[in-house]
Amino acid sequence: MAEDLNGLNNTYPNPPAGEAGYWQSFEELYNDPQFLQSHQDEFKEGVSENFDSSGMSSISRRKFLALLGASAALAGTACSDYRDKGEIIPYNKKPEEITLGKANYYASTCTACPNACGILIKTREGRPIKIDGNPDHPVSKGKICAQGQASIMSLYDPDRLKNPKKKLDRRFVDYNWKSANDEIVFDLMNSGGKEIAIIAHKIVSPTAKKVLDDFASKYPSTKIYSYEQFDNPIRNSAWKKCYGSEEFPAIKWNEAEIILSLDGDFLGESNNKIENARLFSEGRDVMNKKFNRLYVVEGNLTITGMAADYRMRLRPDEHLNFILSLINELNKKGSGIPINMGGYTLENISKQFSLNIETLNALVSDLLKNKGKSIVYAGDHLPEDVHIAVNLLNDILGNKALYNFESAPVSVLPLSASTELNNLVSRMHAGEVAVAIHLNSNPVYHLPIDLAYEKALSKVDTVISLVEVENETSDLSNFVLPINNQLESWGDAKTRTGFYSLQQPVIAPLYDTRQTEAILLSWISGDSSTYDESIYHKYLMSNWEQNIYPVLISKLNFKQFWFNSLHDGIVYSQDKSESVSPFNLASASAIKPAEVSNNFSLHIKESYAVRDGRFANNGWLQELPHPVSKVVWDNYAAISPKTANDFGLRSNDLVEISTGNNSLQIPVFIQPGASDNSITIETGYGRKNGGTVGTGVGFNANTLINSAAILSPWLYSDVKVKKVAGQYKIVTAQTVYAFNEGLTKDLPAKRGIIKEGTVNEYLKNADFLHNEKHELKSVNPFYDYKGVKWGMSVDMNRCLGCGECVVACNVENNIPVVGKDQVDNGREMHWIRIDRYYSGTPEEPNVNNQVMVCQHCDHAPCENVCPVVATTHSPDGLNQMVYNRCVGTRYCSNNCPYKVRRFNYFNFRDHFKNGFQESPVFALLMNPEVTVRSRGVMEKCTFCIQRISDARAEATKDKRDLKGSDVRTACQDACTTNAIQFGDINNEEEEFHTYRNHELGYFLLEELNIRPNVTYIAKLKNTDSETAC
Amino acid sequence: MKKSYLDYILRNRLPVTIFVVLASFALTYFASRAERDGVGYTPDQPINYSHKLHAGKMKIDCQYCHVGVEKSRHAMVPPTATCMNCHTVARKDKPEIIKLTEYYNEGKALEWKRIHKVPDYAYFSHSVHVNKGIDCVACHGEITQAEKVGQVQSFTMNSCLNCHRSAHDRLPDLKNINKGPDYCWACHR
Repeated sequence: MAEDLNGLNNTYPNPPAGEAGYWQSFEELYNDPQFLQSHQDEFKEGVSENFDSSGMSSISRRKFLALLGASAALAGTACSDYRDKGEIIPYNKKPEEITLGKANYYASTCTACPNACGILIKTREGRPIKIDGNPDHPVSKGKICAQGQASIMSLYDPDRLKNPKKKLDRRFVDYNWKSANDEIVFDLMNSGGKEIAIIAHKIVSPTAKKVLDDFASKYPSTKIYSYEQFDNPIRNSAWKKCYGSEEFPAIKWNEAEIILSLDGDFLGESNNKIENARLFSEGRDVMNKKFNRLYVVEGNLTITGMAADYRMRLRPDEHLNFILSLINELNKKGSGIPINMGGYTLENISKQFSLNIETLNALVSDLLKNKGKSIVYAGDHLPEDVHIAVNLLNDILGNKALYNFESAPVSVLPLSASTELNNLVSRMHAGEVAVAIHLNSNPVYHLPIDLAYEKALSKVDTVISLVEVENETSDLSNFVLPINNQLESWGDAKTRTGFYSLQQPVIAPLYDTRQTEAILLSWISGDSSTYDESIYHKYLMSNWEQNIYPVLISKLNFKQFWFNSLHDGIVYSQDKSESVSPFNLASASAIKPAEVSNNFSLHIKESYAVRDGRFANNGWLQELPHPVSKVVWDNYAAISPKTANDFGLRSNDLVEISTGNNSLQIPVFIQPGASDNSITIETGYGRKNGGTVGTGVGFNANTLINSAAILSPWLYSDVKVKKVAGQYKIVTAQTVYAFNEGLTKDLPAKRGIIKEGTVNEYLKNADFLHNEKHELKSVNPFYDYKGVKWGMSVDMNRCLGCGECVVACNVENNIPVVGKDQVDNGREMHWIRIDRYYSGTPEEPNVNNQVMVCQHCDHAPCENVCPVVATTHSPDGLNQMVYNRCVGTRYCSNNCPYKVRRFNYFNFRDHFKNGFQESPVFALLMNPEVTVRSRGVMEKCTFCIQRISDARAEATKDKRDLKGSDVRTACQDACTTNAIQFGDINNEEEEFHTYRNHELGYFLLEELNIRPNVTYIAKLKNTDSETAC
Repeated sequence: MKKSYLDYILRNRLPVTIFVVLASFALTYFASRAERDGVGYTPDQPINYSHKLHAGKMKIDCQYCHVGVEKSRHAMVPPTATCMNCHTVARKDKPEIIKLTEYYNEGKALEWKRIHKVPDYAYFSHSVHVNKGIDCVACHGEITQAEKVGQVQSFTMNSCLNCHRSAHDRLPDLKNINKGPDYCWACHR
């Protein structure tokens, strides 16, 4: 980056005066000349020209290919029957449910993380090709997260372990199941009373827990540990102190008028984020003019912060100070909260951290006005005292009404406390553990390094890892056993009261793998020859028949009940959550004022993309732009612009961060809206053995986690930061299309790309966006679209910018992974992107997220310039792209004002990681209804034409007309908040019509008169307390 | 003036050469057209199955075997098990049936030679055409008379469009069909 970034170097700059424009990065805001130079053209310098062929071999590639082609053609015509069209090989005995060309859907449960959302798996000819939410699931209601969407790739991951391995002389050799099992059973039998430790992630399956219990009774020295690096143990322990019950309940966000979130990213990162986002968005309903108000106080800009009406920056270790001040202020107004902490006032905190006092006063009066209809929520990583104070505040304000006790979280097996894990490791060190069994867990990577788990394992006699893909822990194991993917597995899950969910396999194991529980069962039996594929299936059924079915009081016999339940994926039950006792005031009186250092604070977060690292080998997730910073393929230390200035740091500079004895070198990234003197790092990166894709991506921030953390494992108050020599290149996906010079300066504001307003404005004058009306005239006649004409609408009030639509589109449309270097060249292939626009100052930015897809313009500029007519218009209003005609001139992309077209500079499947995606097993992942594009052609969003064609065929079959509501696009299906709607523009009776013609709706670059067909519904900020409804 | 060698070339040799080249090109082009389009391709099949016997003489409905034709893109070549519905009892002694039974019992793949093919990038749908009332014969010819199946119609984009653009003339029995779609994404995507 340029050295002379105007201003950013020494003094803290103010943005150019008088311009309330939108901006996407600092370089753009401050007109960094080099940046502007490098981004003014569509393609970066050197990406598409100045190709130097002098360094090439003397037989040119072209000549070589010509020779090759000619000889092949000669051989081909001479020796073959050119009329031969191959064979058609039908099934010998066709499974009854399969119709070639038609998808089957199976309900199951996603076990990629412990949230266990209900899923619907789409299979074609017996192979799963897409995962969506199960609409019948009472919690996730048909939606799943980006990781769930992308986890289909994990099934076909070429890195999956294909057979058991054993370590001999420090090298792994292929082994067979029988010998491995026999040797392991021998070791288990002869543990001699020493501990057998099973280390698992959170167990949500009642039947899996029963297997573990059986295992423990067969081998009595067994102890079961379960851990999650990111969960809410602090929230739960605070809840227990306050109310005496185990689990913090879910929250009815849809009933909240006022929400205050203290560094709590409930929309982006919590265990319930799918449910949270859905319920929250119900309170952002422009159709019914229902608006909640979200106050966010946070350390770094998050998904929740981007959605906030009022956002304040506060370093995370100061939140106790904040909540106590808030309580004091409410007490002053007579709310009578029985906490007496002198010295904390909002006035002080507002002065100290330059928080807007008016906003704080508005917050106080809103909380008082909306007793019983507001909720205060604190982040998982905040210390227990904050949670206790928040619980108390909610209790006194009557906000307990918003806790959902009907569908309360249940834990099948509580997570091990950190002390238990510490004890395990010290027993390992002392040689008191005979066998350690890792159930797809990776403690070497996850546990704090000061525990020296790695070293501890070397003192354990037998270390066993059951994994899908090898990881850091399996590297140090004696036996590595391959397990089934979730789509090859049986199971059940219990996460909430009121229902169970079931998991069923949709494909036979691709390799010589076995299901975790089945492996344990064969060890329990002690005789490996007892294993057969259905061993756990039978166990699951008999457990349900004996223990769960009788309680459910079903009218069906068990067989019918079982198949019904498998079909639905869920089973309702009558169990209730444990009762909650009145608030225990003693817990509140124990709150100690926090001592806060003036040094840096450090917040370690779970990655939005690869979570705690378990999705590191998933290219789709690595390449998913960070919802806020748009960074791909990396993590970084996020710091505020002011802090960067104070320390002379710039994005890409390396710093060394130390917490106590632990330290890490990591590049910094200047994040607008971050709080000063605080650092936020996401983990899940820096995997040493994370597969072909995941190894060596980013930096391992787990090395900063301290086993004896004072505040919480994820929050450190006294952190030292030192600039070190060197730079590291962080790549962001968005600045590719920067525009900010001369005539295009301030384009987003001037051209009305982002339009926004306040709820107040809207209620006064619903049509306030369209005060200036223009009549657009054209010399071209307008085509009269008869019948169905497709259109989309995006409600920017609901859009969180999370990226679920991006992943869903990738899966549906066979989008390749291109790699970090190619994203840097502006060659990412995503058909849908989320543009994030900042406005206001870099310290307190306001954020707008805009989903950007092909707008399918009626007068599409791309169509006019294609010299080979490869892109044309269809009579149902779609801008068609025909790959076979495309010769790759890229004129269309150049002429597209929205920059939504993507060009295949390479055959990316071949180009990325040495043909990783060309691996034969990846062919099974492809959607057979969508062409797999190769090098040299242009592509773009098709409005899911394959789904439209399918719906049209169905309509023809049923002898009826095609309706707009027959088609749902992949992004629409995936959107948790239902921000994306799709339908027929010409049908005035459909629901879509109300979106298309909403008062807040506008089109992008309407004045070009190209007639785009994606309606954007402008974002409203609910900022004036007078209109709170 | 003496005739030069050049004159000879220009007057005789060149026109003759050009004529021969063009004529042979044109002849080959037209003569091989059907073959290039695949018309007439009638390969030997691993089982000598007769549509004339089954569909013609015995009047077995097409959809008894081709079950996908109304439901899906693919008409589907029937699984061997479908044949065995009858042939576990019928004509068990015939050599072809013995062969068939062998395939079935051993679970061996029966590799029928493919006759009709549109390219990968054309997403032809049987169900749409059949549900619109278009008869199998329109594309596949008098299949009930065919002892051995071969291709009778050309399956090029040109032939698709010929029918799509004048469906009314070509399929006069179908009153409510005027014209098939002729935009790109009707078939390609």
